[in-house]
Amino acid sequence: MSVLEAIPAKSVEPESIRGASISRRIWRLAMSSNEFRFGLAICLILLIAAIFYPEWSGIDPTKMNVKDRLIPPLFLQQGWTWAHPLGTDQIGRDMLVRSLVGLRYSFLIGVSTVALMLCVGCSLGMIAGYFGGKIDTVIMRITDAQLSIPMIILAIAVLGVSRPTIPAIILVLGLSSWPTYARVTRSVVMTERKREYVRAAQVMGASNFRIMVRLLAPLILPPIIFVSVLDVARMMIFESILGFIGLGVQPPTPTFGNIIADGRKYLLNAWWIATMPGVFLCVTLTSINLMGAVLERARNRIHGGAS
Amino acid sequence: MFVLSFLVRRLLQGALIVFIVSLLIFTLLRVVPGDPVRLMAGGMAPEALIEQIAKDMGLRDPIIVQFGRYMSGVVQGDLGQSFVRPANGASTGGANFNDSTRGERAKVLDLILETLPMTLQLAGLAIVIALAFSFLVGIPGGLAPGRWPDRLAFYISSIFVSLPNFWLGIILALLLSVKLGWLPAIGYQGFAYTILPAIVLAVELSPVLIRTLTASMAGIMMEPFVAVGKVRGLSRRRIVFGHALRNASVPLLNLLGIQFSGLLGGVLIVEFIFDYPGLGLLTINAVLQRDFPLIQGIAIVTSAIFVFINIAVDLVATMIDPRLEY
Repeated sequence: MSVLEAIPAKSVEPESIRGASISRRIWRLAMSSNEFRFGLAICLILLIAAIFYPEWSGIDPTKMNVKDRLIPPLFLQQGWTWAHPLGTDQIGRDMLVRSLVGLRYSFLIGVSTVALMLCVGCSLGMIAGYFGGKIDTVIMRITDAQLSIPMIILAIAVLGVSRPTIPAIILVLGLSSWPTYARVTRSVVMTERKREYVRAAQVMGASNFRIMVRLLAPLILPPIIFVSVLDVARMMIFESILGFIGLGVQPPTPTFGNIIADGRKYLLNAWWIATMPGVFLCVTLTSINLMGAVLERARNRIHGGAS
Repeated sequence: MFVLSFLVRRLLQGALIVFIVSLLIFTLLRVVPGDPVRLMAGGMAPEALIEQIAKDMGLRDPIIVQFGRYMSGVVQGDLGQSFVRPANGASTGGANFNDSTRGERAKVLDLILETLPMTLQLAGLAIVIALAFSFLVGIPGGLAPGRWPDRLAFYISSIFVSLPNFWLGIILALLLSVKLGWLPAIGYQGFAYTILPAIVLAVELSPVLIRTLTASMAGIMMEPFVAVGKVRGLSRRRIVFGHALRNASVPLLNLLGIQFSGLLGGVLIVEFIFDYPGLGLLTINAVLQRDFPLIQGIAIVTSAIFVFINIAVDLVATMIDPRLEY
């Protein structure tokens, strides 16, 4: 919460900002920080590269080319070429294209997993917080139980026993990490549902479903979604971990995990095969995490710094 | 007296949690496709033999019946026998499965108890390193909100949280043990082999700790009692380390309890990379061999540890801050 202290945003904002919705205010506060802009820029550049470069360059990420194998990255060792900026692997596949295709999968899986987590977690949390009583107890006990199984064990157990396909990976990762969202949503809903406007809607005859979807969700969800940016990065790491132990998207499709697992065998004579995708992944994750952390701090400030 | 009723209540809740965990993992393992008997008997075994073995082991009964049988064993402290691991520790061979070797299969509990101390040693060292590092970075950050120590803490935590642990493990092993030869990396032949994996785990663990410590430290330094301390003539050192830190460490402690499952996930990967003979490596192998009893046993033991750690954390937190209620 303290990096943003330097930002000229007083705790008592002028009337014009006060009127704006909470999500607009969080967004504005975050955008005024250099860290956020930096992260956003890097992230956009990488995404654009991941979307366009593989097709534009015309290099097939799975095509072997034994003549060009084990070319080192630019300037780092003898024998580099402009054709392969990050070098090639043991059977002559271009590392840059492979990393970018890996980034595509990683990002796709990360975002859809978080979307699933949000759906499951927030709806369960909202039901638990809104109705309270027995429903609340049951849902929260399940949440506790789920929190106490390390999710990676769960994911590995399920994916190891069944076949790892992309929907299966998204499903397993998403279904094993919703509890935190359920907890957060529940605690917010529990305080909101006692407010007058909810009571008023009830008196006017609105159904519970309508109150939850039309009144509570638009108010509660945006701040949670902002912070879930951090989880996109976490899920991308999990995806690459799964790939690394061979339970992720299966080869020949390149992902960060299986490229690094592959490169590990050639670590001593071609260190870049394992290193370069990792640097790539790390830069991507840092940019996402910077954005997420700034958004989180901005949210905490807007909510009075208490939570 | 309060402590006693607190303990009883939390232990009952914990037992419920462990029960739900075992039900969950038990059902999941049986619902998802993949037949462990096929793996045990070998790919060449005829279908009839597989059905025969499965029936003998009770794997074709309804899940509820299987679960009841399993839980009645668990309550008596018997976590069952591994499907594939022989008791003498020899390499696993599924191909020559027959009933005469069934008696020699390793007990799940023994397997877990053998590897657990190794993992605790690794996790303990990792927590010590992570805490030391977070205090070093987080306290100055919390004392100077908005200035460079705070920014430094922010950047360090942002970068550390972005380092995939398996990649960091490979890179550190390459740099520190292959190129520089400072630390041994692969396998386990002494305490030195714990250091490198522990560093990797600590890097994974510290970002959240740093962030929490910075935020709570910054919050507490704004409290009236800190200002009063200055008026009372206490030195800044005394205020920070005697008063502020004590209060700031409560959220940190709670976090450590919650972080436990994250730590265990990290242990899994790190042990796999460094070939460290702990619980994590056991888990990965159990999964790859579809060793149902072993996976269930590990899930039950880890969730029980999770419950105990969180009870302990709450107890210690009330000791540090007596205002907290049980």
